Amino acid sequence: MATFINFKALVQLLLLPCLLLCSSIAYNSSSVKATMHTNNWAVLVCTSRFWFNYRHMANTLSLYRTVKRLGIPDERIILMLADDMACNTRNKYPAQVFNNENHRLNLYGDNVEVDYRGYEVTVENFLRVLTGRHETAVPRSKRLLSDEGSHILLYMTGHGGDEFLKFQDSEELQSHDLADAVKQMKEKHRFKELLIMVDTCQAATLFNQLQSPGVLAIGSSMKGENSYSHHLDSDVGVSVVDRFTYYTLAFFERLNIYDNASLSSLFSSYNPSTLMSTAYYRRDLYQRRLEEVPVTNFFGSVMETIHTDAAYKALSRKISDRSESQISLDQSIHREERRMLININVCDEIHDVSTEGQEDDSKCPWSAFYRKMQKIENVDSLVNYGLVAMLPFLVFSTWLFH
Amino acid sequence: MKKAKKQEEEFNEELLLKPLPDRKVLAHFHFRSSASLSTSNGGHHHLFPKAISQLVQKFRVKEMELSFTQGRWNYESWGGFDPIPSSNAKPPGVELWAVFDVPQHQIDASWQNLTHTLSGLFCASINFLESTTTYSAPEWSFPPASGNLRYGTLPREAVCTENLTPWLKLLPCRDKAGIAVLLDRPSIYRGFYHSQRLHLTSTGSGSEGMVSGIILEQTLTVVLQPNSQRAGMAYASERHIQPSWSLTSIFGKQVSGTCVLAKSSNVYLLLDRGLVAELEHLHKENEKSAENGFTSQNFWTKPSFELSADPDRIFIEENSLHSKGSSVLYKFQVEKYSESEPFDLSLTWKIPVVWLSQQAPLHASRFLMGSGNERGAIAISLKSTQLSEGFMGANADDERCDLQVNVFQVVPWYVKVYFHSLQVFVNQQPKAISDIIEKIHVSPSKDKVSPGVMEMVLKLPCKVNSAALTIEFDKGFLHIDEYPPDANQGFDIPSAIISFPNFHASMIFLKDDSVNKSPLLSKFQEKSPVMSYTEALLVPLTTPDFSMPYNVITITCTVFALYFGSLLNVLRRRVAEEERFLKEKAAKKTGRLSLLLSKLSAKLRGRQWEPPSSPPASSSFINAKLVFKVILVAGLAVGWQYFFS
Repeated sequence: MATFINFKALVQLLLLPCLLLCSSIAYNSSSVKATMHTNNWAVLVCTSRFWFNYRHMANTLSLYRTVKRLGIPDERIILMLADDMACNTRNKYPAQVFNNENHRLNLYGDNVEVDYRGYEVTVENFLRVLTGRHETAVPRSKRLLSDEGSHILLYMTGHGGDEFLKFQDSEELQSHDLADAVKQMKEKHRFKELLIMVDTCQAATLFNQLQSPGVLAIGSSMKGENSYSHHLDSDVGVSVVDRFTYYTLAFFERLNIYDNASLSSLFSSYNPSTLMSTAYYRRDLYQRRLEEVPVTNFFGSVMETIHTDAAYKALSRKISDRSESQISLDQSIHREERRMLININVCDEIHDVSTEGQEDDSKCPWSAFYRKMQKIENVDSLVNYGLVAMLPFLVFSTWLFH
Repeated sequence: MKKAKKQEEEFNEELLLKPLPDRKVLAHFHFRSSASLSTSNGGHHHLFPKAISQLVQKFRVKEMELSFTQGRWNYESWGGFDPIPSSNAKPPGVELWAVFDVPQHQIDASWQNLTHTLSGLFCASINFLESTTTYSAPEWSFPPASGNLRYGTLPREAVCTENLTPWLKLLPCRDKAGIAVLLDRPSIYRGFYHSQRLHLTSTGSGSEGMVSGIILEQTLTVVLQPNSQRAGMAYASERHIQPSWSLTSIFGKQVSGTCVLAKSSNVYLLLDRGLVAELEHLHKENEKSAENGFTSQNFWTKPSFELSADPDRIFIEENSLHSKGSSVLYKFQVEKYSESEPFDLSLTWKIPVVWLSQQAPLHASRFLMGSGNERGAIAISLKSTQLSEGFMGANADDERCDLQVNVFQVVPWYVKVYFHSLQVFVNQQPKAISDIIEKIHVSPSKDKVSPGVMEMVLKLPCKVNSAALTIEFDKGFLHIDEYPPDANQGFDIPSAIISFPNFHASMIFLKDDSVNKSPLLSKFQEKSPVMSYTEALLVPLTTPDFSMPYNVITITCTVFALYFGSLLNVLRRRVAEEERFLKEKAAKKTGRLSLLLSKLSAKLRGRQWEPPSSPPASSSFINAKLVFKVILVAGLAVGWQYFFS
């Protein structure tokens, strides 16, 4: 009986990693075709209404300017602004928004395109944009028409708290809602990689529920911390920018579309003493090494160019390329770096999954014990044993407390 | 054939500048593109924006007008009778109306899809007009009256750069060349009033209702304050002198050539009737002291102001109706100027001049009456403008002289208007409704379905000084989800439209080829009724106190806690036990001696001595032990379960 159980368990233990391996290979091979980075999208959201929240709009527009400068076209940017600050009657500088006291840079520019504004900026519309569930009449310019090869930058700013973000001072987006939407996006193949950047108080808590792979998250502050504004413009009369965004911009203003600065260099550029909060990165869902991912992968639109000798052979060549480059891993030249990264990731994944089953046994004897226990068919006897085992406890305890 | 088609597609750009009496300048940009809709080019055009032609074909739009406005047209000082205010003074926010060429039952669907499309095209929340509570179908009071008309407004829509950008993208040269270069965003939006309008007409329906041509008219009307260059000077007369301005001083830019795709590219300077009459008067007085007489020709070549550029033509209005004077138009052709010699028109006043703009027959204003959050009344007051009285008197020779006034008013459903409470006052005397109102059409609002619409034709006596209409309403309640985030600001009632069908705002210039060629001037010659918009009203509604549920919960919880706390305290407390406990404490305090004494006395009495510790206490101790055991076992069981699940 016991040997039989052992045998069965053994077979199962052996089968399990095999199955996992197979499925993971199947998954990976299906996603390998799709992993080509096809385009870049940006969803930039300012969730605050009212004039005193000027800085949130300036934050969003700063990012808008940056991504536009680095090559994402207007039709691939969904800009949501909850209020009209540029032509607000309180604005001394009509049709202009500044993020610095020196007023050197008009963020509103001459050809800004706002897709959702005013009362349209609601949690519902935000989730609709992410998940792509619109009414049929909604025009293309208001939709996020990304595909499974898209890199999406999602930037949000406003007033937040522990696991929520306020919309227009009347609604809330909870971390569960965000995680749900991202999960749906993943299921619907709406992105390949997603960078969520949040500049609110306690921004890090908004990422707690995220589970989907390919998601990288940056928050301006940890739980219990506030995100502070950078400085006050006494001419405009309000604070004009938040610290986190200010230093993000300071980083990006030095770059142009050809720069190769990596995400890790962006992350390390944040200094807690100047931010007055701790920037938080959640990278456990993201497979690639941050040192090797250029910021233009999210904040710009830099495509990989594939040279083809003949038409219609691109795909097969690409696959063969991959197997070659796997061998010559160390001598990879800079141009092919990104393609190599994909390969490394694929290998890593497979390796991880295949070792999973064995690790289970060696590192966790308890789970092995549990698995054995599961195999015992006679449940009644188990219960009886349990009761009997409880008896000494009872006796012991009565003796102890008598 | 191909040549003919190319000629059909054309684009004209024009700019009209006009000094206003209150030291401001009106700039009116007029762009007109026209195209024939034929499938021969595969739906492509040379100049005409494709997005618009697709929209017209998809939704079968016969006529459409969309306007974005910020600020309010000041009818009193900027005039209300010219073609510009009657067709370009618009209510604040967004106004959209469209006439469809589809069967009755499809109109609403077409309208709803059109609003979504326009919201995508123009970066605005026009899609809020999709809801049936926001649009209406006026029967006859709205000027392009037709059964297939839908009309909607969003009074609070913000208007800014993002709306202008797509509007400019419809122009073949955008804002890169031609007159549109002047549209510098900060200077436009610094203005007192700006209205950006898009008017679409599809002309001549061919076979099977297919449209054969579209005319797209884009206008932008701005009222700007020129920076007075002589502000520092302190002459007494300087204060009355009108500020001098130039294109660079009001827009910060100048025109350096035409848009090469434009058929004509002209700038006009318009002096309105009042100003011309005033100048003529001043001129005459000057001439009286001098000896030589003047002809109108040399008067206009030696005016009381200086222009930096010589006009290419001067038009004088043919004025048979109005005795006041006739307006004068200077024409400048931009094609004469180039990059090296940019066109920068400037106007410098030499003598102080004060004049008044021509007003509409009645000045309309609307206001709210009553107080509180329950009920109120809307009043529309019409006041005779002194200026127009003169020529109205000329018309009013016969006994029965009526002034016809059309009123069109849409009220949102949460302002529940009682139509029976309509009252009419003429010259502050209440009048019977049937005497004044000739025709009325009312469609009452339905809660959360449709707004209330009121259309009226009033017949007022010509010599009326003032007239007023009042109507009462109750304020409704919205569902808690329907309140906007800034509900405390109040809710808007869109502007009412007052039109005077007997009066036509038109300027007829001497018949000439060049007048007919210019779309702006031919627009001026069209006979359109004088129209004006009233103010949008702001109604404060009862807003729910969103923190109230929280307060209620907190207070209720406090009350419950107090109640149950004290109840449990009363039930659980054992008075006898407590007394014993106190006694024991007291006994302990007395010390060993008293203990011994009590023992001794007990022995003396022959009874067994009882220790002060009470037996019930021990029993409760046993209980506690039992409870602990049960908890321990349960904990073990739970631990067991937890581990194996």
